[in-house]
Amino acid sequence: MMHIIEALHLNKEYGSTKALEDVSLAVDSGDFFAIIGPSGSGKSTLLRLIGLIEPPSSGKIIFMGEDATSRSEEEQLSFRREIGIVFQDAVLFTTTVYENVAYPLKIRKRPRSEIEKRVKESLETVGLAGFENKNASELSGGEAQRVSLAQALVYEPKLLLLDEPTANLDPRNATIIENVVSGLSHEKGTTAIMATHNMQQVQFLASNGAILHDGRVIERGKISELFKSPSAFLSSFALIGNVFPGMSEVGADGLATIDVGASWKIEATTNKRGRVTVFIRPEDIIISKEPIQSSARNLLRGRVVQILQNGQKVRIKVNADREFLVTMTRRSFEEMRLEPGSLVFLAFKASSVNVI
Amino acid sequence: MAWRKTRVNIGRKILLIFTISVVVVGGAIAFQYQSYRARQILTLATTTSLYDSGLLDYLIPRFSEASNVEVRILAKGTGESIEIAKRGDVDMVLVHSRLLEEEFIAGGYGVHRVGVMYNDFIIVGPGEDPAQVSGLKDAKLAFSKIEEAGKSRRSVFVSRADRSGTHLKELEIWGSLGFKPSSSVETWYIEIGSGMGAALRMANEKRAYVLTDRGTWASFKDQLSNLKVLVEGDSVLLNPYAAILVNPMKHPHRNFKVAMAFVKFLVSEEGQSLIRDFRKGDERLFWPMARDFQRAAQLGFPDQAKEVSWYDTQTSPSGQIAILVAIILCSRMPYCYTTTSFVAESQV
Amino acid sequence: MDPIVDGLVTAFRLLVSVDPEVYGIVLLSLVVSGVAVLVGAMAGIPFGALIALRSFIGKRVLLSLLNTLTGLPPVVVGLLVYLMLSSSGPLGPLQLLYKPQAMVIAQLIMVFPIVASVTASAVSSVDRKLRLRALSLGAGGSQMTFTMLREARTGVLTAIVLSFGAAISEVGAVMIVGGNIRWFTRTLTTAIVLETELGQFGMALALGIILLALSFLINVALTRLQWSGLRR
Repeated sequence: MMHIIEALHLNKEYGSTKALEDVSLAVDSGDFFAIIGPSGSGKSTLLRLIGLIEPPSSGKIIFMGEDATSRSEEEQLSFRREIGIVFQDAVLFTTTVYENVAYPLKIRKRPRSEIEKRVKESLETVGLAGFENKNASELSGGEAQRVSLAQALVYEPKLLLLDEPTANLDPRNATIIENVVSGLSHEKGTTAIMATHNMQQVQFLASNGAILHDGRVIERGKISELFKSPSAFLSSFALIGNVFPGMSEVGADGLATIDVGASWKIEATTNKRGRVTVFIRPEDIIISKEPIQSSARNLLRGRVVQILQNGQKVRIKVNADREFLVTMTRRSFEEMRLEPGSLVFLAFKASSVNVI
Repeated sequence: MAWRKTRVNIGRKILLIFTISVVVVGGAIAFQYQSYRARQILTLATTTSLYDSGLLDYLIPRFSEASNVEVRILAKGTGESIEIAKRGDVDMVLVHSRLLEEEFIAGGYGVHRVGVMYNDFIIVGPGEDPAQVSGLKDAKLAFSKIEEAGKSRRSVFVSRADRSGTHLKELEIWGSLGFKPSSSVETWYIEIGSGMGAALRMANEKRAYVLTDRGTWASFKDQLSNLKVLVEGDSVLLNPYAAILVNPMKHPHRNFKVAMAFVKFLVSEEGQSLIRDFRKGDERLFWPMARDFQRAAQLGFPDQAKEVSWYDTQTSPSGQIAILVAIILCSRMPYCYTTTSFVAESQV
Repeated sequence: MDPIVDGLVTAFRLLVSVDPEVYGIVLLSLVVSGVAVLVGAMAGIPFGALIALRSFIGKRVLLSLLNTLTGLPPVVVGLLVYLMLSSSGPLGPLQLLYKPQAMVIAQLIMVFPIVASVTASAVSSVDRKLRLRALSLGAGGSQMTFTMLREARTGVLTAIVLSFGAAISEVGAVMIVGGNIRWFTRTLTTAIVLETELGQFGMALALGIILLALSFLINVALTRLQWSGLRR
């Protein structure tokens, strides 16, 4: 049984909206698989399908060699119980941390002594030993997410799914979670599938991955391969973001300056030097009609080239020495009233720059 | 350890739920037990004015003890009492409206109607008496003067308007004047759809005229400073109470025997003298009439003599067993047998 | 002001002297409303939870119907129950009329829609994400229902408190189906009606004060359960 999970030609529709189209992938046992893509690409939907908490509109999911899609409720339940999911927003039950983490074991009717022991271990793993009696409402966002992870780990699932688990967290909590998750894969042989847009995470944690864009898989393979020959990778990426190759030099303050040519230097928070590829998410670029006064280290000026409206999102191509793709909400777009040819100012933080 | 506290909390919760359950279930069982005690149960419907007077609370204990019967009294208006009796929800009624009673009997719902006692109605009104009815001995005349005063806006009249015995008597008197009062037409006629107490209190507030039974007036007069008794003594104001048994043919599941025993008690010498001796404060409220056949006939009970003798010849359930035994013992002797069987037949 | 002072004094005197009639009336009120709420909750809570959690044809119609029934005047319920239990009615042979059982039935009919619709509302307002979470952690069908009810526990408890309050202060229905029979089907509310009719305002107020005190105590006890439940 090489593949722990296989998705075959998955499609998912919500009314007239197609969230996933003909998605197929396979993940080996013990592997760490990354699903990369911008928001709205269908990452969360795909994870929900794989986690067997939502049925696909068509297609199959093979879990541990067995077809998990067309099964009775009880059989699906037993599959589900081998999978753990950590969502982007940690939602916990209104009770103590102990009760929250003990919940999955209680519904599996484990004996009390076993529950106590495992909960303690689980909380220690995520660095929250002693938090048992705290009420879930008293926790910070980072602590809550860690409890969420502890919940998913306490019953030792064969497959762990993570949906942008550190997206809304402060660096400290994000690091703890990343460490825990990487430890799992290496020490316990737990298979993990993580959806993320954070390139550093991908490089640090995953060995295989796939790129998702508008509900379709546009690239897949080993992470090392994907990052080694960036051109193939990049052309896929270019569809979804702003990619520039350049030379990086790290300054004394820890900030790297990357020369992407045409005498333009991007500032990024990385300690990589030498040849690098830079990737900035369209959502991370701030656009304005006035010069932007902000703490962002990268400020540019350009003109609107093209406007693409796609439902609630509006994508704007801006020419500012390089072509940038910026996304904004329809509302903001209507308030700003941009047209092709409008003069705009762009800004993005050094921390938004992903360096590969 | 930290989670021992949770164990205590659960314990307390369980204790609380347990206590509540015990009280609730215990109470439920107690009530079920009550109804399983080997007693006969009599359910009777009567009017609020009779119930409120306290006469029944005075009479019933004596009957209950002697016969081991539990009496359950429903105090509704005359109209409602008759209705539920028609539906077979009670064993007998004790009401005071000739019209409704006769309709009840004619429909086959009731049998053996008998007059038990009477009291009287009085007309009370504002001390200043703008209609000038004080001291009149003619209720019909008083009512016509009240109507006149009402039309010329000098005073108002409060009616219970609830199909009670009192209300029906009131309508009877208006009817004899050829007048059908209605509050939508006459502004001086106020219909409230309520009990006697409420009617008296409103009359007191509005300084109005109202027809009331003497018993309720006696209970409330201290609170009614604006009103006083103006008209009394007219024979049309006499208010007889009738006892009627629910027809066992119509509702065989009802307790006919016990109801019969109770009415027998009411019309017996003992019952009648108890009624005569009943006092509220030091006012006498009821006059016995069961054995005054002339008076009974006057008050609308032409068959009183026949019915009373029927009740008199009925025997209590224990008595019936005695008869049965006597019949069996006497079956050998022709003379003895004939007499006892004659008595047994008159039970029906 | 006189009857009110008289009422307070009488209330105190009745309770302290353990007047058997008054204690009987209090016990009957508690038992009738208590049983009605207990049964109503045992039926209404799962019913409300299931309506909230499952989707089926006519779900919205059923919810609207439930909500409408909560506004049904108790006295109308009483009349309908009377007609059902009456000797001439369909359930006549059961001979339940003018007994505490009939009062429990009438109050139960009143309580059930309240508990069911408030529970349904409370369970639906539990964060959708929690449902997915419980599902992802491996909760099966009935486990899910129970978990969602636990999350909605303040709402559910409110339903119970509300319906108990409504039941114990109800007077129209219990009057019609119980008959206000002394020593047998007389509750605090029907006793108050009687005493008012008799003009015994002091006594009526005394009973009213006892009723209020009882409601208050029970509310306090149930609210404490609510809050301690939250902390856990």
